[in-house]
Amino acid sequence: MRDAEVHFPKDLADALDIMRKRPGIGILAGGTDLFREQGGRGIALPDDVLFVRDLAELRRAGLTERFLEIGAAVTIAELLELGESALPPLLAEAVRGIGTPAIRNLATLGGNLAASGRFMDSWPALACLDGLVELRDQGGATWMNVNRLVGEGGRSAVPEGGLITRIRVPLEKWDIFALRKVGPRNYPTPDTAVFAFAARTDKGILVDFRIAFAGELALRSPAIESSVIGRALPLSARESSTVAESYRAAASFLPEGLSLQFGVLVESALGMLAS
Amino acid sequence: MTVSFILNGEDVSARARSADRLSDFLKRAFGLSGAISDCRCGHCGRCLVFLDGRLVTSCLVPAFGVRGKEVVTFEGFAQTADYIDIAEGFKTAGVESCGFCSSARCMAAAALLERRPRPSPKEILEYMSCAPCRCTDPEIIVRGVQTAAEIRSRRLYRRAGR
Repeated sequence: MRDAEVHFPKDLADALDIMRKRPGIGILAGGTDLFREQGGRGIALPDDVLFVRDLAELRRAGLTERFLEIGAAVTIAELLELGESALPPLLAEAVRGIGTPAIRNLATLGGNLAASGRFMDSWPALACLDGLVELRDQGGATWMNVNRLVGEGGRSAVPEGGLITRIRVPLEKWDIFALRKVGPRNYPTPDTAVFAFAARTDKGILVDFRIAFAGELALRSPAIESSVIGRALPLSARESSTVAESYRAAASFLPEGLSLQFGVLVESALGMLAS
Repeated sequence: MTVSFILNGEDVSARARSADRLSDFLKRAFGLSGAISDCRCGHCGRCLVFLDGRLVTSCLVPAFGVRGKEVVTFEGFAQTADYIDIAEGFKTAGVESCGFCSSARCMAAAALLERRPRPSPKEILEYMSCAPCRCTDPEIIVRGVQTAAEIRSRRLYRRAGR
């Protein structure tokens, strides 16, 4: 196995400079996903690796009045240590489901979003919360909604050539929310997926409604969400049934087992709006 | 590349390949077998070490990732007062872990007690998920960690009182 050249940037500017000089360089922070997937004694790495785990700029987390901003190399354990007052409950619930405490001390939020080939636990919650990711390259910074990490056919599509540096989560209050993980808990398999649901009500009217589901493929349907928003609560049995049917049709591209579980979870979420 | 770090309290340096997992590197370069590369996917917990004071699965850490950091393996941890407290707590409560999970459970318990001196059964079971093994009844493990917590608190109280 060829030895990779590992670069230890001293700061973010240095990291971006190395990325410019070495296009296609592999980016490594926590490494849990890459190391777990390979399983064997030695780890196959790209010829050039940029090790960003210790970059101070990527390890900060801060709270403003409207946002929680999290550096991409903040570990899941550090994120949970921010406490319930800082962390939106839906996101807290999602990251609590990641691995064991020992894995949460390594895995980073940026890595959880940038994992190749599948969506990990944090995406559905961040999608419901309209989370943003900052992508940096030599040209500057771009903020994009995490929903844009979904490519064709619901597959993961993390843009190449940039570095995820921060994740911004709006601190809006949600009246009703739920998060469920299906499949093995501590390590992802094709049967693992996470369902997130959030709704906001005002004077008996559903003013916002979001559902996101992701495993190897992701599903979020703004069209179905829009069809429900504005309705009076509780939803009637007929309304719930129409929405559930729309979601069943939208989920037809998922593997059968996950599609069925998704249907049950949607019905359970709609049940929360009917009661 | 040469990786310099603190291992069980001593400054050390050794050559590592970029492909090395920390668990393999510790055995090959330093002859330490406390962290065992078994599942190599972070699941079995046999490779647990403390990295800068935090419990991690060393099979998921690149060897080059410990550059400038502090690593404590079970060999180092077994010399500490925390280990003695936990071993005594486990013995008193009747925890008879097998050779597969014994060291990992002690380290997981130490990591938990450092953060939560009086942990709940739920917290204990969550930390014990770092070393999943069915050799011992979970209720006995909970009692073992709670007993260790009491022993540890008494020791820290005595030390603070001096």
